[in-house]
Amino acid sequence: MTTRIGGGGEGEERQKRPGTMTRRSLVRSGLGALAAAPWAGRLGAAGIHPYPGLRGRTAATVQDDEIVLGVSAAFSGPSRGLGTELYRGSMAYFNHVNENGGVNGRRIVMKLLDDGYQPDPCVANTIELIQDESVFLLFNYVGTPTVTRALPVLKKFRDQQVYLFFPFTGAEPQREPPYGEFAFNLRASYRQETAGLVDNFLSIGRRRVAVFYQNDAYGRSGWAGVREALARHGETMAGEATYMRGTQFGASMRGQVEILQARSPDAVICIGAYQACAAFARDAEDLGLHIPVANVSFVGSENLLALMREGRSDADAHTRFLVNSQVVPSYEDTSLPAVREYRELMARYDPPPPDNVERITPGEPYETFPQSFVSLEGFVNAKLITEIIRRMGDNPQRSGIEEAVFAVRDYDLGVGERVRYGPDRRQGLQMIYYTVPEGERFVPLEDWEGRFPVS
Amino acid sequence: MTAMIQKGEEVLRVRKLFRKTRFGFFALFGIVVLAISILSISSVSRELRDEYVSNSESIAKNIADSSVDILLNRNLATLQSLIDQFVQIESIRYIYITSDTGEFLAHTFIPGIPEEILASDPSATEAVERSLPGLGDFVEVGSPILSGVAGTVHVGMDLERLGLKIQRAVGQQVYLLCIILVTGVLASIWLVNLASRPLTELLEYVVTLARDKESDRSTHGDVLVRDDEIGDMARMMQYVADDVGLARDEGTAAGGGD
Repeated sequence: MTTRIGGGGEGEERQKRPGTMTRRSLVRSGLGALAAAPWAGRLGAAGIHPYPGLRGRTAATVQDDEIVLGVSAAFSGPSRGLGTELYRGSMAYFNHVNENGGVNGRRIVMKLLDDGYQPDPCVANTIELIQDESVFLLFNYVGTPTVTRALPVLKKFRDQQVYLFFPFTGAEPQREPPYGEFAFNLRASYRQETAGLVDNFLSIGRRRVAVFYQNDAYGRSGWAGVREALARHGETMAGEATYMRGTQFGASMRGQVEILQARSPDAVICIGAYQACAAFARDAEDLGLHIPVANVSFVGSENLLALMREGRSDADAHTRFLVNSQVVPSYEDTSLPAVREYRELMARYDPPPPDNVERITPGEPYETFPQSFVSLEGFVNAKLITEIIRRMGDNPQRSGIEEAVFAVRDYDLGVGERVRYGPDRRQGLQMIYYTVPEGERFVPLEDWEGRFPVS
Repeated sequence: MTAMIQKGEEVLRVRKLFRKTRFGFFALFGIVVLAISILSISSVSRELRDEYVSNSESIAKNIADSSVDILLNRNLATLQSLIDQFVQIESIRYIYITSDTGEFLAHTFIPGIPEEILASDPSATEAVERSLPGLGDFVEVGSPILSGVAGTVHVGMDLERLGLKIQRAVGQQVYLLCIILVTGVLASIWLVNLASRPLTELLEYVVTLARDKESDRSTHGDVLVRDDEIGDMARMMQYVADDVGLARDEGTAAGGGD
C-alpha cells in the first residue's frame, strides 16, 4: 500500500510549538522573505506543498525554488523509530539550509511516503516517486528488504537517471552489480560492521559466535558478513536462530534463545530491528544466556535501549551484555565539528515526526530522542547531499548527479573521516564505532576484554 | 368376502413389489455415487498431489535458474529476497538453498532450521515426504543449481493444505453426486408411482368385479377407457366376469327349472 502525504498536519503541529508559532505569525503578517523561506521549506519538507499549483507535476524534477528528494521509509510499524529519527536528523540540517537561502537559491524538500518497512509498499512508493512525483533523487530509504526490492525499479527507469542516495542499510545489493550503479552509500556496510564485531570477539577469546537474525534480505546480509568474517579466522558459526520481520518487543524469543543456548556460544551477533533484538536480549538474560549480545547499526540503539529500560528497576542488569556497532561517531563526541553542528541544530529545530504522512499503520504514538545515532546519520546524509547538490550549480539536472558525486574527493564532512567517491567507490565512509550502554545512552567502548571478560 | 380379502392381499403384494423396486433404485444410485466418489477421491487426490509436486518442482527449478548469478556473485541478501518472494505462494511453506558442500546459504525457517532438515541429504532432489515437529507434514522437492555444482534448491509444500484442497475438490464432487442421488431417488419414486397407479386402478376394478356390484363398476369406469395394456386387461376382466356371471345366471335358472 502506498501512502501519500496529506495536508495541514505539519502547520498545525507547528502551532503547538512556541518557536514556530513565531515564524508562522511572521509569515501571516507578511514581514518578509526571511521568515517565509523557512516556513515554506518546512511545509515542503513535511510534504505540504507551499505552492499548490506545483503539485502533480510530472515533467520537471527541479523547480526554480526547490529541489524535491523522494523518501520511502518506515514511518509506521515496529521500525517506525528508524524512519522517523533518520528524517528528523535530515530535517534539522535541511531546515538550517533552507533558512539560509537554500542551495543556490533553491530549498531542499522531502516528499515522504510510508512503506512500514515492507518491500511491496516500498516498490509502489518508488514507482510513485519517480513517475508521479518526478523527484530529483531518492533519499534516506530505510532497510534492506525494502531497498533490495526497490533497486530493480531504478534499473527499469535507468533512462531517467534516478539515483538512490544514502539508504539506511549496510547490505550488499546496492553496493554490488547489477544494481550498485544506481545507488550511492555513505555509511559503512554490514559486512564491515559484522567483520569488526567478529574480529573483536575473537580477539578476546570469544570464538564461538552465533547469529540471531531477521529472516529476510537484511538478516541474510548480516549473516553472510559474520560467516565470511569467521571463515577468515578459520571458524564457523556456532549456531543461528531467526525471527520474522515485524516481530514486536512483546513477543517471546524463548525458542530462539533455547536454540542458541544448545550450541553454547560465546557471543551472539544480532542482525535485526530494535523491537525483536530488544526482546531477544531480554529473554537471553532472563533464560541465563549471559554472553555479549551485539547489534549492528540498523538496530536503532536508542530505541532498543528505551524498550529494554522501560519500567524496569533492574534495567542495567538487562543491558550489561549489549554492544552495538555504529557507522557514525558518538553524538557525545563534541570534538567533531559535525557532531557539534548536529547537536546545535537538533536543539534549535527539534524536528517533530512527520505527523501528516498517511501511515500504513496509523495512530502509533512515537516519542522522539533529543539525539540518536540514527538522527545523526540522517543529519550527515543531509549534509552531504546538500554539498553534492551545491556542486551541481545553478541548474542541477539528474544527468549531472553522478559526475557531481564523483567530484567529492577527500571531503571533510566533520565526522573525523574524509569522504571520497569514484566510479569504483560508491560508499563514502568506512569507519565502524563500537558502543555499550551506560545508563540511558550508548557510549564508546574502549576495552573489549575488560567489558566482556572470558571466565 | 373371501375373494375381496384375497384381492386386497394381491394389491398389498403389488405395493410391496414396487417398494422393492424403489429400494432397488435407491441402492443402485447409492452404489453409483459411492463408486464415483471413491474414484473421484482417488483421482483428484492423485492429480492434485502430482500437480503440487510438479508445481513445486517448477518453482524449485525457477529458483535454481534464477540463483546462478546471485550465488556466483555471493549475493546472499538478494538470494534471500528471491526465496522470500516465492515463499509467499500459497502452499509453499519453506524453501532452503544449500551449497555444493551442503552448507545452508538461505532459508525461510523460523526460529531455526529443523533437525530433520539438517540431518537430510542436502543434494537430494527427489520428492520426499517430511514430518517436521511443530510445523506439520510436507512434501519436499529439490532442484540442482548449475547441475548441482553451485548447490541445490529445496521447496517444501504443505501437505495439510494439500489435504484441505483435496477435501474441498472431492467435497464439491460428492456434493454434486448427492444432489444427483436425491434427485434420482425422488424421480424414481415418482416414476414408480406413475407406473403403479394404473395397476392399482386395475386391481381395484378387479376387486369391484369380484364383489359383483354393478353400481361400484361405474366408479372405476376410467380404467375401461384406457387405450393401453391396463385398459385391455380391464376390459378382458370385465368380459370374463360378465361371462362368468352369465354362466352362473344360466346355471341358476336351469337349477330353478328342476
